[in-house]
Amino acid sequence: MKVFMSKRMIACDEASFLISYRSDHRLGFFRWWQLKWHLLSCHLCRKYARHIGVLNKSLVVYRDQCSHESCGHRLSPEAGKRITQGIRQELNAK
Amino acid sequence: MADSKEHTLEPQHWAERYGDYLFNFAMVRVNDRQKAEDLVQETFLAGLKGRDRFRGQSSERTWLTSILKRKVIDIYRKQYRSKESSLDAYEIDVSDGDFYRSEHPFKGHWLEGKGPHSYSLLPEGEMEQEELARFIQLCIEGLSPQLGAAFIMKMVDDEDSDFICKELGITPSNLWVMLHRARLRMRECLEQSWLK
Repeated sequence: MKVFMSKRMIACDEASFLISYRSDHRLGFFRWWQLKWHLLSCHLCRKYARHIGVLNKSLVVYRDQCSHESCGHRLSPEAGKRITQGIRQELNAK
Repeated sequence: MADSKEHTLEPQHWAERYGDYLFNFAMVRVNDRQKAEDLVQETFLAGLKGRDRFRGQSSERTWLTSILKRKVIDIYRKQYRSKESSLDAYEIDVSDGDFYRSEHPFKGHWLEGKGPHSYSLLPEGEMEQEELARFIQLCIEGLSPQLGAAFIMKMVDDEDSDFICKELGITPSNLWVMLHRARLRMRECLEQSWLK
């Protein structure tokens, strides 16, 4: 039984991959069980799972804020002038 | 209530109305001021050249943003196909040598100092949105171009995985390993940024 279990236990690298993977997918039963078993004994991976949850939620906020509204980046006045002139030239050329 | 009014194009106002918005959009994705400015200019010029194809079903901003998005994806695609890039490391091996031990019997365990330290990733209680955005932006900038592209397309643009794989010419396995490695680095960066 010990050998059976040890061969199926995963290390932190696989566990953290599964934590990441389950952000976007449903884990199959065996993988879910392997991760659950690992998390029971590994406090670092438990923290990691918590952190990834926070990261994913923060990215939703970031996505809403910075993808659709200004995130602080603005065109320099010179670039703005250059772009405006480029549009005018193209419009006048028509 | 659906807006059935057809939208029209007013290119003479594009720069003042959408310049900053498109620049911000580009900067978040390419992290290079000059490149972002060029992308905005190219987007407006492409919009002018293609304005006969505008059907008025979306707003000007949405239409211009879709043009910009395509140009950003072109840049990402070039990064993936450059001679320096190699996707072999992202095929199967989930173990990232920067974070995990490679020697038996501790193979796969967190490297000293690489695992999570703090209980919370970010400060308890509500963080100012601007501050959070600044942290996240900083950490995305620290990702390699390949990881950054996959991460932005999935986590910021919320693109479908099949679409990402098709556009970047990668397999689903590549994508999931890359997202995993990007999350490893993002998590580490955010924790360190906050602790500082």
